[in-house]
Amino acid sequence: MDDRFQYRGDREAYSAARVRALEALLIKKGVITDKSVDTVLDFFETRMGPFNGAKIVAKAWSDPAFKDRLVADTPKAIAELNLPEGMAGAEGEHMRAVANGPDVHNLIICTLCSCYPWPVLGLPPYWYKDPTFRSRAAREPRAVLKEFGLAVPDAMEIKVWDSSAQIRWFVVPERPAGTESLSEMELEALITPEAMMGVAVAKAA
Amino acid sequence: MKLQHYLGGLENLGPVSTEVRVFVEPWETRIFGVHTAMMALSSQLPLPKTPSTFTTIWTWADLRKGAESLNPFDYFKYRYYEKWLGGISGYFISNGYITAEELDALTEEYYKDPAKPLPVAGATEIDDRVVQYLVEGDSPKRDVKVTFEFAVGDTVAIRSVPSVEHTRLPGFLRDKTGIIETVYDGAYTYLCDTGPDGVGEAMPVYCVRFQPSELWPGNAEPNFSLYADLYASYLAPLEGELAAAKAA
Repeated sequence: MDDRFQYRGDREAYSAARVRALEALLIKKGVITDKSVDTVLDFFETRMGPFNGAKIVAKAWSDPAFKDRLVADTPKAIAELNLPEGMAGAEGEHMRAVANGPDVHNLIICTLCSCYPWPVLGLPPYWYKDPTFRSRAAREPRAVLKEFGLAVPDAMEIKVWDSSAQIRWFVVPERPAGTESLSEMELEALITPEAMMGVAVAKAA
Repeated sequence: MKLQHYLGGLENLGPVSTEVRVFVEPWETRIFGVHTAMMALSSQLPLPKTPSTFTTIWTWADLRKGAESLNPFDYFKYRYYEKWLGGISGYFISNGYITAEELDALTEEYYKDPAKPLPVAGATEIDDRVVQYLVEGDSPKRDVKVTFEFAVGDTVAIRSVPSVEHTRLPGFLRDKTGIIETVYDGAYTYLCDTGPDGVGEAMPVYCVRFQPSELWPGNAEPNFSLYADLYASYLAPLEGELAAAKAA
């Protein structure tokens, strides 16, 4: 029988051994160093990640004029904030924020691959890379969002943004009701990568 | 045509994944790190020379070409980073950095002894360049004079360019019409020349709005719009396209 529809029984153990063999060979041959992979991973733990996006959105919630500037010229507005160096770095060279409103919900997708705004959101979660999500969100965003537990009323317009050229998109979700007394730092805790890509909304804790 | 170019709109796929983790197996982190280091050390970047023996080009375009060249069943079968592992291993083998035999042999060794340590080697300049790439990025924007053929509000036709190994034109937009939402400032290259597909050189990029009822007649949800960022070479004036169709 064609093995196209079967996985190896040792699928993960085999991939783990193979990637370690590849990394070992690349170090041995001088392509990368023994610290290159950890250097990259550490960068995404500490400098590029959704913790930056949460700060940007919390600031937009607290300061409507900043929110307007963020939507009008995203890189320029982000540069106002005290964030780690590299906010216009890899996969963030040209970013654009879109804001949800009472009548509009935004959803970011990439039907061709998995373009994602690294500096502000870090690396894409599995749902974003899933070919089924990428296929269906382009035609039936409401049905897809329902599977994420988000019901978007028919009266609310959905804007789906397909990332196919230089722009890396993210969403400024609506500030949840009942959060008026929270500080920016407390607001940050309510902002998830899912809300900043539009498969969720921010909720009060 | 390649299915991977036409994912948008495909039906009968079942429920979506709602997995919020970035990596679902620890080994996936390693191939992500290798890929990102390769992008940073890629020879076309204007970054400081290092002692790395990596002398060729590796960009997103190379990773995407690999994914687009897969059998479509395998594209759906394998997880994201499984596809990366296959594509990146294949690249190092086909470019002569390693051989398939030594990769297979060493895979056996690590399979039997997963705790066997990695070699310790390498100059700090290599990792300094990796960090510099992440901080500075690789903007495709170029300071060249270009003509903007379209303005906000114009209706445009999407061309059906020849199908080649790699494209940035989502297949479901071919031969459709849309309305220009944004004219991006400046001109943008792509990571490689896609040949008859038409991108690579610096050119304008437009954000174009599409009506789902035109994209999926009788089969689209109500009250939504789909926007795509498209290189100028994928767009044609509506009148010209219609005239050409009549003449044909």
